[in-house]
Amino acid sequence: MEIATVIEALFSPLWTPVLVGALIALLAFAQRWLADQPLSCSTGFANLASFLRPGVKRDREADWRIVFLLGIVLGGLLAALTDGAPGWQGTAAEFGVFYTALVPESSLGSALWWLIGGLLIGLGARLAGGCTSGHTIAGVAMGAPASLVASAVFFAVAVGSAQLAAWMLGV
Amino acid sequence: MLSRRNLLFLAFGIGFGFLLSRAGATSPAIISDLLLFEDLRLLWVIATAVALGGVLTWMAARWGWRARNTGEPITIQHKPFKRGLIVGAVLFGLGWAGTGVCPGTALAMIGEGKGFALWVGAGIVLGAGAGSAINRRLERG
Repeated sequence: MEIATVIEALFSPLWTPVLVGALIALLAFAQRWLADQPLSCSTGFANLASFLRPGVKRDREADWRIVFLLGIVLGGLLAALTDGAPGWQGTAAEFGVFYTALVPESSLGSALWWLIGGLLIGLGARLAGGCTSGHTIAGVAMGAPASLVASAVFFAVAVGSAQLAAWMLGV
Repeated sequence: MLSRRNLLFLAFGIGFGFLLSRAGATSPAIISDLLLFEDLRLLWVIATAVALGGVLTWMAARWGWRARNTGEPITIQHKPFKRGLIVGAVLFGLGWAGTGVCPGTALAMIGEGKGFALWVGAGIVLGAGAGSAINRRLERG
């Protein structure tokens, strides 16, 4: 492969699925190897929420969870800066046919929709004890039965409700 | 704040956010392609990550690989079957399908400059806070 081809591939916004999946697995395992800590996102959100409550003492031992979340934001920024598009314009979100039809059009309606969707995600992840990171990528790879069940329900409900909504919306 | 552990996790976070973006997981359109079975690229990302993760877990257990920070064999953590697991997983699935976003990708989307993800992220913080409060009650009995 020519070097120019490799560089072009690095700056493409989407990489081959199997390559990205393998790199995510290696990164998640590196966390366990270097820090004995499996991948985890939603617990950090709960720690973030505890900062909002006055009088709650902050657990400094768990600061790394928040730092990790901050890192993900920076990683998204890095990806957007190196996606081959000239300069920094911010990446426009692509909602596709489905979310364009599903999400309310007004700015207030859509903001409420995103906020309530986020509430369901955060609440559900904490009640389930993990999200697609902790349960699916980390937990299933470690063969945890509870993570297998949680992940099966995540996917069954998400696929089922999306298919039903798409059918009702006629998209 | 500037401990070795925090710097390490900052780097892990940057790597994870970058890879989520290159995977296409930060595009709601590609999430809907997955959920509606129109384009399965994300399924291959997840399947590869889980399968290789499983192989690495097996190898670590088989040969007793040790964690660098503790010097002990790498822990294989199994999350518990907690009360609320099924209800929580159902709510999560609804929120995920409704928005095309999950906790990790919300953050990467904010970094990419996708403004709507700020709303979703704010909702996740509030929801996670409420979820933790409910968990504490469930644990007390």
